Amino acid sequence: MASIGSAVLRSGILALSLAACAPAPDLVVYCSLDQEFAEVLIAAFERESGLRVNAQFDVERNKTVGMVQRLIAERAHPRADVFWNNEIAQTIRLKNLGLTSAFSPPTAAAIPAEFRDAESHWHGFAARARVILYRTDRNQPAPTTFDQMLEPAFAERGGLAKPLTGTTLTHFTVLGTMRGRDAALDWIRRAESAGLRWGSGNADVMRNVARGDFDWCMTDTDDAAKAIQDGHPVAIHYLQQEGPGSGTLLIPNTVCVLEGAPHRAAAERFVSWLLRPETEAMLAAASSRQIPLLAGAEAPAGVGIPGRDFTTLKVDWNAVAAALETREQEFRALLVQ
Amino acid sequence: MRSWSSSATPWQVAAWLLFALAAWLPLAPLLRGFVDPEALAFLTDPRRLGLLGRTLWMSGAAAALSVVLGATYAVLCVRVRFPGARLLESLLPLPLFLPPLLLAQAWFGLAELRGPWAAVFTLGVAAAPLPGLLAARSLRKQRASAHEAALLLGPWFAAREMLRTAMPAALLGGLLAFVIAASDFAVPDYFAVQQPLFHVYAMEVFGHSRSASYAAGAAAALPLVMLGLIGLGLALRLQRGMRAAEVGGGRAPKAFHPRPFGTSVATFVAFALATLLVFLPLGRLIWETGNTGPLDPRSWAQVSADAFGQVFERARGDFLSSLRFSALAALIVLVASPFWAHLLLRSEQTGSRARRIAGRVLGAAVALPLLVPAVALGFGAILTLDKPWLRFFYDSPWLPAMLLAGRYGPIAIFLLLERLRAVPDAQEESALIGGASYPARLFRYRLGPQAGGWVLAASLVFIFSMRELDLNILVSPMNASASVRYYNALHFARDNFVAACSLVLCVVLWLPMALASSWSSLRGRTPA
Repeated sequence: MASIGSAVLRSGILALSLAACAPAPDLVVYCSLDQEFAEVLIAAFERESGLRVNAQFDVERNKTVGMVQRLIAERAHPRADVFWNNEIAQTIRLKNLGLTSAFSPPTAAAIPAEFRDAESHWHGFAARARVILYRTDRNQPAPTTFDQMLEPAFAERGGLAKPLTGTTLTHFTVLGTMRGRDAALDWIRRAESAGLRWGSGNADVMRNVARGDFDWCMTDTDDAAKAIQDGHPVAIHYLQQEGPGSGTLLIPNTVCVLEGAPHRAAAERFVSWLLRPETEAMLAAASSRQIPLLAGAEAPAGVGIPGRDFTTLKVDWNAVAAALETREQEFRALLVQ
Repeated sequence: MRSWSSSATPWQVAAWLLFALAAWLPLAPLLRGFVDPEALAFLTDPRRLGLLGRTLWMSGAAAALSVVLGATYAVLCVRVRFPGARLLESLLPLPLFLPPLLLAQAWFGLAELRGPWAAVFTLGVAAAPLPGLLAARSLRKQRASAHEAALLLGPWFAAREMLRTAMPAALLGGLLAFVIAASDFAVPDYFAVQQPLFHVYAMEVFGHSRSASYAAGAAAALPLVMLGLIGLGLALRLQRGMRAAEVGGGRAPKAFHPRPFGTSVATFVAFALATLLVFLPLGRLIWETGNTGPLDPRSWAQVSADAFGQVFERARGDFLSSLRFSALAALIVLVASPFWAHLLLRSEQTGSRARRIAGRVLGAAVALPLLVPAVALGFGAILTLDKPWLRFFYDSPWLPAMLLAGRYGPIAIFLLLERLRAVPDAQEESALIGGASYPARLFRYRLGPQAGGWVLAASLVFIFSMRELDLNILVSPMNASASVRYYNALHFARDNFVAACSLVLCVVLWLPMALASSWSSLRGRTPA
């Protein structure tokens, strides 16, 4: 007993000595981008500005509720100054809930109009495209359009993530706004009967193609870039979505200053720093190969450029954000059986 | 005779105030979800009932598998003498350090498992250390005289006596395995690729937790909470029926030394189980640290070295932060859990029916923080504790420690309850007559013979705190953590980094336990 008591005392002293509080930050950023890249940029901002940033990271898919819900829960006493989201629909959801505030950075005009809020509550940059990743060693064709995925020749050899979270949910919500709710639900039913396989996420279906379990999958450019970077015999082509405004779906990062931000001036400084061609160039050069949106941002070879390498699908993002929660419930009722 | 309760009251009040602050207060805003009429809709919708039924059988099967694997492993390592038994026993906790989703990926990579049974197998293997560790602890406390008397009647009597000793603890481990499996939707989702899809109820809870109304997630979780409470009630009833008296201070039975053929069989079975639980998944993870495509010019060793280098460069601070919160949580539980468990024990032993019922209600309330989804606890913490006048506390490391202690404290409480039951009441009663103070009676006479179980309870809280993800996302000071780091990397397909990260975590957590076990063994003591 004496030795246990002594061990408890010693571990208590050790734990207490480790429990020192960190100094208060000058800026709090909630971020759902890949931590590896975001940290590098935030560290660069800290060096340039001399501000101390407390960055909080998200794990949206595996398997938690994420920063968006946290921001909603904290609305009575906001703790965050900036939300840097790696997609767009949830940011607009926050705006509709009154959780964002207007701020127009100097480079706002250089961002294409469809990727920034008319009231300057959020701005898009560094996008991902929805693409088909396919194996180059199989000599088998891969679908080039959204509906081709349902054809028997393709369906049984490929897969996509279940449209319950992330960019796949956004993609299918876009489908619902463009073709109608029933068409989106019908697409999922037909996918099931066609034998298309469902992964638990975009990275998961990418892994299936890299391993050779699938011949192709629909995923995001950052996941596809990872498979290519890791030396798997794979390539991508941009997925064309038929219908009005046909083209490839681009989903940008979005950044916004939050309503009631405790460090408003620092928040505006950070957003202005982030929305620069130089930052976009850094993200394009990183292994995730984010697609620059700002005029004048440079992209290395291998990064597709909208308008040059593919046509961008025209999307009413406000309609998508408004429908997101309802579509998610409908897709869940269909798929979670 | 002095009443036990008069001298215990101030200590009990202090301990239960701490539990209320750590566990019940953050749950308070969510409780209205439980009485929401919407919650009843979850129990009448056929689709959700189907999901609940599947959850029940899959989690039940996973828990049963974990008991079979874990208890067999424990019996072989603790009670049969064969070469390597001590080493294998020290390896048993390793699967607990890994997130089940990583084990699922490892097993898919090894055997291309798919379908609901793949999920059952993974969840069973992932949770097997729980019944295994608890059963091993009990087996070491079996009275040598009881074992030897049974042995005189024949080996089957001895085996039955051994099972009677190990099963209450193994059942508790199985119940914990059931609760963990029932709340996990990542593993079934990972294996549900082809038609027919087979999702579980926790997916529904996850979906509802994304709603703007926090109570919706709690309402959706109600059926899972009820399943957990029913399971807890059954486990406690079975435990009471199988209670085998143990005492401290007496000698433990010697390990059985079978004939050469028997030794070979025992060695083979034990190593086969260790291969299934530890060597294969960890071996796969080691391979995964350097796994890359055929067109990558780098060698396996280069990729692996890069992955480990990144872990030490980027994740070091997060590891330290997680260790700090988890150590504090374990410390809180170490100090407070004996008081919590003792009150529950006394409520079982009282002659008053009303008090026994009150004790059971208290037991259910104690289990609640473990049974609700962690996101509910996280939202509750934000809603109740994120106030401007509480910032000094909210931003301190004590908030994470307290929340983790509240969330995982029930594991320690029920484990200690099972351990304290095994100590004859006469010991405490004698100390009471002798005028011993309440803390002396509790810690010296009740807990003294069960010190190993006490440390094991706090160790499990530490391990589960290290694994926690949902609270870490939601509660500000907890975000810089090992789990956020590797789940973020997993989400963005950095598989080499994730494998290296999880292996480093395993070593960091396992090494002190193995060293402590070796030290105890060298000093001729029973390891905790």
